[in-house]
Amino acid sequence: MLAQALPTDSKPRLRRLVLSHEGVLALLLVAEVAVFSVIGRNFWTAGNAFEIVRLGAEIGLLALALTPVIVTGGIDLSVGSLMGLSAVLFGKMWRDGHLPLPVAAAATLGIGALAGLVNAALITRLRIPALIVTLGSFSLYRGLAEGVTSAVDNFTNFPDAFLFLGQGYFFGVIPAQLPIFAAVAVGYYLLLHRSAAGRGLYAIGFSPEGARHAGIPVERRLTLVYLLSGVVASLAAVLYVSHNGQAKADAGTGYELRAITAVVLGGTSIFGGRGNVHGTLIGLFAIVVLQQGLLLSDGPAELAGILVGVLLIVAIAANRLIATLAARRKGE
Amino acid sequence: MRIVGLLGAVVLALVGCDASSTGGGAGGGAKSLTVAMMPKSKGNAYFIACKKGADEAAKELGVKLIWDGPTDPDPAGQNNIVDGWITRGVDVIAVAVENREGMSSVLKKARQKGIKVVTWDADTTPDARDIFVNQATPEGIAKTLVEHAARLLGGKGEYAIITASLTAGNMVAWQKAIDAYNKEKYPELKMVALRPCDDKQKQAFDEANNILNAHKSCKLIMAICSPAVPGAAEAVEQSGRADVKVIGLGLPNDNKVFVKKGITEAVVLWKTADLGYLAVQAAVAVHKGTLKAGDKTFSGGRLQNLEIKDDNLLLGTPFTFDKSNIDNFDF
Repeated sequence: MLAQALPTDSKPRLRRLVLSHEGVLALLLVAEVAVFSVIGRNFWTAGNAFEIVRLGAEIGLLALALTPVIVTGGIDLSVGSLMGLSAVLFGKMWRDGHLPLPVAAAATLGIGALAGLVNAALITRLRIPALIVTLGSFSLYRGLAEGVTSAVDNFTNFPDAFLFLGQGYFFGVIPAQLPIFAAVAVGYYLLLHRSAAGRGLYAIGFSPEGARHAGIPVERRLTLVYLLSGVVASLAAVLYVSHNGQAKADAGTGYELRAITAVVLGGTSIFGGRGNVHGTLIGLFAIVVLQQGLLLSDGPAELAGILVGVLLIVAIAANRLIATLAARRKGE
Repeated sequence: MRIVGLLGAVVLALVGCDASSTGGGAGGGAKSLTVAMMPKSKGNAYFIACKKGADEAAKELGVKLIWDGPTDPDPAGQNNIVDGWITRGVDVIAVAVENREGMSSVLKKARQKGIKVVTWDADTTPDARDIFVNQATPEGIAKTLVEHAARLLGGKGEYAIITASLTAGNMVAWQKAIDAYNKEKYPELKMVALRPCDDKQKQAFDEANNILNAHKSCKLIMAICSPAVPGAAEAVEQSGRADVKVIGLGLPNDNKVFVKKGITEAVVLWKTADLGYLAVQAAVAVHKGTLKAGDKTFSGGRLQNLEIKDDNLLLGTPFTFDKSNIDNFDF
């Protein structure tokens, strides 16, 4: 409703930008950065900026994958569990199957695609709600991961060349996972905002029936986003293994909720039809900056959970307030 | 654009303040060291007991102690916190390592940045730290346990061991050391059964029952993993066999009831507060250069003349909790 007029002078456009959800959130992010620059040690440094990207990479990949899923009005709760399954299968293929690491990594992405396809098939063929399907696979994939390893086996001693992916730096400062994360972010941006398929996803989110009548191949589009979600979760798992130097069944526990929090904080409507990739990125960094900032200012880590909750409520309440005020002004 | 510019100015102004204030802070930091210390998990009573000693040592030495860790044992969480400490800039990191190999590379990174690294309670790979504060060697544990067994059985007779598993590294090491010390010192003392309980109290209870039934002349059960001590004691109590005693490695709180009933005679562990105390003392000494791998002994505060074996700083003889002292400990 704020975006109805298309003014030519810059002032209302700026107001529109600042008053948009992403604008409010970006201001909150700037405020966080400002506060932690004062109270945290070495917070305002280039090194820390890259470190924040590194810390956010795994959850960030999941959040990127979940953005189009949620835009269609769906959800994928299985991504964290799929990380666990991918991590242990990756470890098993390498250590017990003696596959070279690049082959094992590629096969892991294939497993992710397969797991995503299972979700998609149940959602589109059997018409079971995504929440129920992925709640099932959430439990299934974690259970498989624990079963494969009896919940105790832990794959370690990966070669240094592989550990570089999650722990190394280019030119001493740029984390090795940054290019991967950036590429996935750009890919999702193009899919969601620059392609016909992306516009179809929004239409599906508004009304699946309407989209179907408009000739959008709803099932194919949904299959695509859930399949990609599986592949990206497996990619996150490979990065996680490299980052932590170990592959265990508990990899990625609870990550799905943290990723969904970033997406929702970023302004994507949980009911579908609204949301964007840059909002998700701002939401992600609002959370990661908070965690890292608390660590660098010697604050208790538990506070991060509380503050993320407060942030979510403040951002969404501010958004609502602005919308209400704007509607009222329009009515006058 | 104007608002964005304004925000930029605000941020820059804040950063400006910050640059000058960290300058002051760093100056202060040179006087007092910052030791960042991590337990395997913050919620575990064992580590809370260690923290008491760590706080005591930090106060004595006048260093700033940061105590943080995952709420539950979580190797990924430990890595992230160490990464944060590297960025923040601390002088020494002291970690109780959850995953030996998983932690190794982030600790190596800390050392590359000039941060000293000490491990305590559980070690990482030797090349990733300066020294390991080792609370108990297999030989020390074995000696204490076998001495208790010999004392209770009068130097001869049969006993059985309940272990966590027949394959876990530390379990095998302890069991072998017990066997070696036993054969050397008390040839008439015989281990008649060695049973694994998978680190579960219920299974230890079942195994203890089997031992009681199968070996009527076995008068002592030695439980070398912590859930097995109360598990075995429970089985002995229910069997009504007043002639059988239990000893083992465990935590005081798990065993208070059985110690007071006279079923469990000795619970062996170390003084957790001393472990925390020594870890901080060692961390500061490593930073000052007064403690390094290859030294023979170390004295820090109230702990004097402790032995150093290779790059392990030894806390000393394990401590025995029994009827006389167990109420003084709460973990």
